[in-house]
Amino acid sequence: MELFTPDFGLIFWMFVAFGVLFLVLWRLAWPVILKSVDERADLIDKGVEYAQSAKAQLENANREAQSYIEEARHREADILREADKMRTQIIEEARVAAQGEAQKVMDAAKVQIAQQQKQAEEQFRNQVSDFALQIADKVVRGQMADPRQQAKLVDSLLTEIEHKN
Amino acid sequence: MMKNFLMILAVAFAAMLAPAQASASEHDEGKIDPKEIIFEHLGDAYGWEVPFDHHHRIPLPVIVWAHDGFHCFSSARITGGEPYVDNGVEFKLAGFDSPYKGKVVEIVDGKEHRPLDISITKNVCAVWISVALVVGLMLWLANFLKKHPFKAPRKGLGAVEVCVTFVYDGVIKAILGPNAKRFAPYLMTVFFFILSMNLLGLAVVFPGGANLTGNIAVTLVLSVLTFLVTNIFANRHYWKEILWPDVPMWLKFPIPIMPVIEVFGMFTKPAALTVRLFANMMGGHMIVLVLTLLIFIFSAINPYAGGLMTVMSVGFSIFMLLIDVLVSFIQAYVFTMLSTIFISLAQEEHHEEHKKDESEAKAIVEEIKDALI
Repeated sequence: MELFTPDFGLIFWMFVAFGVLFLVLWRLAWPVILKSVDERADLIDKGVEYAQSAKAQLENANREAQSYIEEARHREADILREADKMRTQIIEEARVAAQGEAQKVMDAAKVQIAQQQKQAEEQFRNQVSDFALQIADKVVRGQMADPRQQAKLVDSLLTEIEHKN
Repeated sequence: MMKNFLMILAVAFAAMLAPAQASASEHDEGKIDPKEIIFEHLGDAYGWEVPFDHHHRIPLPVIVWAHDGFHCFSSARITGGEPYVDNGVEFKLAGFDSPYKGKVVEIVDGKEHRPLDISITKNVCAVWISVALVVGLMLWLANFLKKHPFKAPRKGLGAVEVCVTFVYDGVIKAILGPNAKRFAPYLMTVFFFILSMNLLGLAVVFPGGANLTGNIAVTLVLSVLTFLVTNIFANRHYWKEILWPDVPMWLKFPIPIMPVIEVFGMFTKPAALTVRLFANMMGGHMIVLVLTLLIFIFSAINPYAGGLMTVMSVGFSIFMLLIDVLVSFIQAYVFTMLSTIFISLAQEEHHEEHKKDESEAKAIVEEIKDALI
């Protein structure tokens, strides 16, 4: 039965020992330990939360980047198409302009050619008439050496004048 | 590998011990008294045994308040059974026939009289060793955490911290919720104190070996403390539930049946705490003692039976001690958890009490189931 009868001395010392233990730990150990454990738990919670949000943000950013890339592609395609259009337009314009210019040049050339032709013709006629005159001169000089002939010419010229009047 | 080694060790032990023990038991008074030995080992003593020696003990101070005042002397003076006169008062250890068997008594006019005894007995000494152990471990941990905030300690200190978070997060915060901060110091102290006493009790030689938590005085003090904390910090609703519970009028007036039952319940809770821890730890110690004594009993009958019994006893003892390590944890945990629940029940506010009670009761049942498995 002695096992079931609590001993006064031990009860007394237990109270004292527990009191001492509690006071020491309460003052020196538990505040530090529990605070640290709590803070670390908070830190870990926050860390997990942060990591999750970071992951979400990353995914968001990725999606955004993807959409930007998509948009950029669209725009690139648009720009290319526009550039193409513009190129053809410019080429067309250039061609038209070049055609016009060429026409002008050609027209000018034609005019010039015509002018030169005319000039050449005139020159040619002048020369021809010159030559003709010289030839005529020579012919006339040859023929007019004979005085009968001269008289005949004077006669025919007079006749002509007569006829005119 | 380890298993084989243990087997060899056990057989060697058996071979060595059996014949020696057989001859020893023939030389001694012939018969051993198992009951006496068990009770001696489970109980308290004025000195602390050293291994392999029955005659020398580590002497501890005896402090008594006799009829003429305090007396303090070494237990070595009386452990032999002889009387000792200190300042004119005669003291001795009471004999087996005395009602104060094994305790210090003063002899007044030839009659044994039990003085007020606050000696530093083996158990008291072991209590202080536990206190020192817990203080040392916790200050070490606190120091580490002060130096390295946000860093989890490794190795030995890591194990201590695992226990801290296990109790704090798993039990105290889970049950008490917002009140956790308020009661955590008490509950954590209780847990680690019980745990260290349990584990030290399992160690066989000097700093351990005292059957502390298997002593009803120790468990009684712990549950009285829980009782005090529960009732001192209880809120109004708790007292209302006890003195004027929500039951039909005839159950509380004119004969206060329910209040009487409730008041009775206030005291059964700590009583259950006391007995649970005490019985569990004492049971573990007793089984190991009985297993060890079986060797001597069988050896007295037949040396070979003794040898065989040695192998079996050592095997079972190791098994039981390993289980006791587990039980040490579980009982410290259960004591803390039940204390927490008692405290939380006294903190509860009126609203949605039934639902909470139910879920809490379920949680308690689950936890206890887990703990017992």
